[in-house]
Parts: sequence; structure tokens; C-alpha cells
Amino acid sequence: MATVTHSLRTMWVIFKQEFSLFFVSPIVYLIGAVWLFFAGGFFALTLTGLSQFGGEPTLIPVLSPLVFLMIFIAPALTMRLVSEEVRAGTHELLFTAPVRDWEIIVGKWLAAWGVFTVFMLLTGVYAVIMIMRGNPEISLILTGYLGLWLMAGSALAIGVFSSALTQYQLVSFMVAMGVMLTLWLAELGSNLIAGSQFFTDFFSELSYIKHYQNLVQRAVIEPLDITYFVLLIVLFLFLATQVLSTRRWSA
Amino acid sequence: MIQVEGLTKFYGSFKAIDRLSFHADRGEILGFLGPNGAGKTTTMRILTGYMPPSDGTAVIAGYDVIKEPLEARQRVGYLPETVPLYREMTVWQYVDYLAELYGLGRKQRLDRVGEALEMVDLLDRADSMIGNLSKGMRQRVGLAQALVHEPDVLIMDEPTIGLDPAQVREVREMIRRVGQDRTVMLSTHILSEVEQLCSRVLILHNGRIVAEDSPQTLSTRLQGSQRFVVRVGKAAPEQVAEVLKNVPGAGVVETIADGVQVTSAEGEDARPAVAAVVVGQGWDLLELKPIDLSLEDIFLQLTRDEDEFSVAVEEA
Repeated sequence: MATVTHSLRTMWVIFKQEFSLFFVSPIVYLIGAVWLFFAGGFFALTLTGLSQFGGEPTLIPVLSPLVFLMIFIAPALTMRLVSEEVRAGTHELLFTAPVRDWEIIVGKWLAAWGVFTVFMLLTGVYAVIMIMRGNPEISLILTGYLGLWLMAGSALAIGVFSSALTQYQLVSFMVAMGVMLTLWLAELGSNLIAGSQFFTDFFSELSYIKHYQNLVQRAVIEPLDITYFVLLIVLFLFLATQVLSTRRWSA
Repeated sequence: MIQVEGLTKFYGSFKAIDRLSFHADRGEILGFLGPNGAGKTTTMRILTGYMPPSDGTAVIAGYDVIKEPLEARQRVGYLPETVPLYREMTVWQYVDYLAELYGLGRKQRLDRVGEALEMVDLLDRADSMIGNLSKGMRQRVGLAQALVHEPDVLIMDEPTIGLDPAQVREVREMIRRVGQDRTVMLSTHILSEVEQLCSRVLILHNGRIVAEDSPQTLSTRLQGSQRFVVRVGKAAPEQVAEVLKNVPGAGVVETIADGVQVTSAEGEDARPAVAAVVVGQGWDLLELKPIDLSLEDIFLQLTRDEDEFSVAVEEA
């Protein structure tokens, strides 16, 4: 069988299955509600600020806190993905089907990213309102969304990885949140290490904050920032695949 | 269709299966008989591509499960011991999803899912949620899932475990039907199931094959040491045992709680002679009941045979 078409097909099948399973569980509606509540709240605050103090209309005050919110949203979306298969034993079906382990992982991750994309597009209504009523910099809105979208992709990859680690969804949630908070706070670490310029830079580059700020707050598309998110995605999907494969070796 | 050579699997330092070699052809129903922990599930999981072996080869329909895993898995249908189901899907959605994973196109699936559900007699429940089905029905959903991509080899791990007698009969009937034009391998720890279904049986004990034969020859071979209980009125068991010891064909005679247990000598049936002697003594013959060999007895016997064999080899 032609390898590439086989892989694309398989991932599409897994994606469809997982995407539709998302909407069977009530959790996704709860997460969506939280997401939209905060997005709407930040937008309302932004509008209040603009009407009182004036200034350039922009979505930055809406998107920036939403990036931080992903630390909680992403693990909630992904905690079920692999854990539940292992708990219910349905991974046995996948392991004995003509499917590669990485195709399972990537298919599941794409489904989670797809659901997030729906969430994200729903907040697009605020962008539309702002464009209709004011005169915001449209490129700033687009790079902001690109940053949010890439950050979410990497956060969900971390989530899929921690879901592969355990059959308990709560543990998966905590681990993913821990990893993401660590990445976030790496910036603080860089401030603590004053002596070595190398380590200061290292921790700063490692941190989410710097890379999303470039995209979301400064609207600069730097190859380094894009690479950072892509690398995070590739790394954690690779690790997730390795973890899933080790389940084949245990009794 | 299935070719296994020197298959070995370690879990850490524990050897779950030890140099298994066997084969199965098309149209054959191969039974895997053994107590829990004998290595049945491990062997099946290797054949289905779930886990790699530590050593040895397994070839399914011409494809090595390690070197060409996707090709091999494409040709195997697998029904694990606990049927893995997505409870929140309908029967049709579930079988359709598996069919799609096995690469069936939309048109093909429309036919094949229907056929598979018809084969397991579940077409009228196609739109039911799996979570709402009875255990027997779930077992059938699992079987439909294993059959939907028309595999050459069907592997079933304890397919009748936990079902009520009517469901057991149903599932066995289905296995017989689907086994006509493919290779079926099933594991069980029920002796009679093997006798009813299988054309050949492998007996597994501590990860090794201790016997391989047709169920008929196997049971005749085991008839050799048939045991039965004799209960007699008007005489104490000790007294009866004393007399029965001299009956031709009776091997070991022991007294048990309220009767005598006789083990026939190898290849003989001592029951007619025993009955005649008891009646001849003027006692009342209350009961003469054969004791079915339990699986445990068979293993004891087979493993004992093996030990004797290895001793004989060493002496020679």
C-alpha cells in the first residue's frame, strides 16, 4: 500500500472518530462555555477601556489572556484522548488494526486542534465587530490569531503526550498543566539566573511568553517563533508515540 | 495460513511462552486449550500484532507479523477476551469505524457492515447504543467487528466466557459458520468446547505445547485412565475396595467418603467387570458414575507423561 496515502487516510479516520466523540461528551460543551465566557469578558473589558480612555482599537487585550487560559483549556480537551482508550481497553482494537502508532497520535491531536479551531473561530465575531465599528490593524489581528493557534497546537501536543502516560484522566490533566506552567514560568527562571548570559537566554527562549508575545502583542512573524511552536508540537507528538508504543511491550 | 516457529515471549525475566511452533490451514478451527496463565493470550496478541515476540517468527497469510505488521494485521480479525467497545457509539457506527480503519471504502462499507451484522444476527439492533446491549449481544458486536474486513484468519480469545448457556450455543454456532472458509483460532479452558468446535487442538501448559492432536484422538488417549466412583449398599467401602482390587482391568482402587473410586488400567474399561462383581457378591449397586477428567487432570497427566518421557530419554 502506498505509504503516504495510507497514513493520510488513517489519520483522517482517527480524526473523524475523535472529533465526533468530542461532541458526545458534555465536557467539551463545558470547556467551550468557559472559553467563550472569558473571551466575551475580555472583549467587554476592552470595549469599556476604549470608550473611556480612547486609543487604538485592537484585539491584543482579548487574545493575550486567552493564550494563558490555554494552560487549563488544552489539558481538559486532551485528557481523555489516549487515557480513556487504555482504560476501556479499546486501544487493543487500534493496536491490532493496520494503523501505525504515530498515525493514532497525530489523528487524535488533529481532532483536538480541530475542536480548538472551532472555539477560536467563534471568538472571531469580536474581530468582526471591531472591524465594523472601528478601524483596527487587521494584520495585527491575524498574527494574533496565528500566535494563539500555534500556541494551542503545542499545548494540545503536550496534552496528548500526558494523556498517553496514564489511564487516569485527572493525572493526565495535572501533568499537562504542570508541563505547560513550567514552560510558561521558564521566563522567571531566566531572570533568576543573573550570572550566565547563556542560561538567561536559554530559559527565555524556552518560555512560551517570549514567543507568543512576538506574535500576539508585537505582530512580528519571526521564523524562530514559528519554529519554536512547531518543534514543541513535533517533540511532544514524538514522545507521545513512544509512550504509546511501550504499552505494546507490557503485559 | 498461520505459521509459527519458535515463538518466545519474556515479560521481564518471566517466560510467558517458550519456543511455540505450530501451523493452521484454511478451513481449520484450531483450539488453544490451557488454564489461565498458560500463554494463550500472549500468543494471540503476538499473532494479531498487538505485541512483538522476544524471539521466533509468526507468519499470517504469508506476511511476517514483525517485518510486515500492517499487511499481516490487515488479514487478521481479532476478538479479544474483553470485547473493546465504544459504549457511546451505535452498533453500526462502531463496526463502520473499524471497517474504515481497515481501509474499506464508503460503498464497500455499506455492504460489508450490513453483511457482518447480519452474520451475527444484529442487523435489527444496528442503531442501538452499544452501552445498552446485553453481554451476549456485545460479544456478537465484537465478532462482527472482527469479521467486517473479511480476514483470512480469525483469532478469538475465550469467545464464550461469561455468557449464559443459550448465548454460548449461539456463539459456537456462529463460529462454526464463519469458520468454514477461513482459518479460525480460538482459546478456551473448556474441554467440551474444543470437542464440539475444533478440528485440531493445542494444549498449552506453562507456556509450552504439551499436546497437539484432534480432539477425538486426544479424548480417546485420555480415556485410557478413566475413573469412576462406585457406591454400594449392604457393605462398607473398605470391604468393597478389598474385593474390587482383584477385578481384572481395575488399576488403582481407593476408598473415598462414602464409596470407592476406581481408576481403570491403561486402555481398559473396568466398569462392566466391577458391576458384575458387585452384583455377584449380593450387594446393592447404588451408583456407578464416571468422573469426567477435568482440565487440571489432563494437564497433570500430560505433564506427567512428558516427565516420564524425558526420564526415559535420559536413561536411554
